Amino acid sequence: MIAVSCQELTKYFGKNRILNEMSFSIQENTITGIIGRNGAGKTSLLKTIAGYWRSSAGEIKVFGHDPFNSLEVSANCIMIDDGMYFQETLGLWDIFEWAEAFYPNWDQGLAERLFAYFQFQRYWAHHNLSKGNKSTFNMIVGLASRCALTIFDEPTIGMDASVRADFYRALLKDYLAHPRTILLSSHHLEEVEHLLEDVMLIDQGTCKLHMPIDELQMYAISIEGPADLIREWTDGCETMHEQKNELERLHRIVLRNTISGEALEALNSKGVEVAKVSAADVCIYSTNARKGGIDDVFTDDAFK
Amino acid sequence: MKLDTDSLAPIYIQIADWLENEILNEHFKPDEKVFSQYKLAELFNINPATAAKGLNLLSDEGILYTKRGLGKFAAANAREIILNKRRDTTLKEMVVDLAAEARRLGVSEEELLEMVGTAYEKRKGEL
Repeated sequence: MIAVSCQELTKYFGKNRILNEMSFSIQENTITGIIGRNGAGKTSLLKTIAGYWRSSAGEIKVFGHDPFNSLEVSANCIMIDDGMYFQETLGLWDIFEWAEAFYPNWDQGLAERLFAYFQFQRYWAHHNLSKGNKSTFNMIVGLASRCALTIFDEPTIGMDASVRADFYRALLKDYLAHPRTILLSSHHLEEVEHLLEDVMLIDQGTCKLHMPIDELQMYAISIEGPADLIREWTDGCETMHEQKNELERLHRIVLRNTISGEALEALNSKGVEVAKVSAADVCIYSTNARKGGIDDVFTDDAFK
Repeated sequence: MKLDTDSLAPIYIQIADWLENEILNEHFKPDEKVFSQYKLAELFNINPATAAKGLNLLSDEGILYTKRGLGKFAAANAREIILNKRRDTTLKEMVVDLAAEARRLGVSEEELLEMVGTAYEKRKGEL
């Protein structure tokens, strides 16, 4: 079963096209990581899926319905982000009551256990929480609501490292016990990749890559060695990334992992180092729109 | 339980290797049920789909078999298959690397064989 499908989904804000003819589908009961640089369109896509925003063109279906203005989708979907707003007169404990009334699968027991574990107080006001505590509380609401489609948009903002680790573990355990479709956006793929089944890389409002995480982890390799040898060997190859060593003696290139084992072994015997390219780095190299690197910004003679 | 995320081997291969070691150590005996994809996911803190890929790899090699509705079980000859596979691939690759390194360092064939012999002797008592 397909949980979310888009056909040439497009969204304009004024003259700005922020989603550009996106077509993809997300299988039910999978955890998909939504990855992309700042301003790539991650949040816009998630808000459109959650039904907060109407699309400008193309088609979007969540459990077979257009999510905008759909009560069906609204009852089966929750989106957790740092902009969540609750009635300011409600204490944290009251928010649970409200959530229980709205979400049919709400697990009050889980909410209470997480609440106690993270040492919240019932009477605390949501708008007075620290950034990290706000994210943690929102995460509890997101997990306990057990929505068929659960969207976490940068859920760990402000959380310290130990709370982040707890959150990812809680997410995995609850998913194992109660499988559902989860979309998780993050700037830190290396922190979440173990949780994911699929990854979608968004770049300039388009879906650049969408594949199982273990394929992405094997997508590219890097080879590094004497500059002449590397240049000669890669002549005519399509590379994803090139990096000159400061000393210009060594050269490192990244390319699609389609080279035979024998060819790699032959390179290796000539002193060329072959290494794995992490999924996070594949994402960076696949979305590098800027020319050159940060070093090219600094033109002072002192660096020459 | 820790996985090596820097390793060239994908996580699901590492899961398959771990299960093979458990079978070799007789933590899973012939015709005994092995961990489910969910149990493995919890144990290694990974997505259950990744764990399932590791299990399926072993099924394809005949090391595990499936009982419908009950899960995956270690084959009666699982140990034998794993030992043969490791002899044919893992050990052979290690020997190739060993020979290459010996040549680089200018170690003669006799010297290398002597070193191997000593190391083998030392581990006599082990399984």
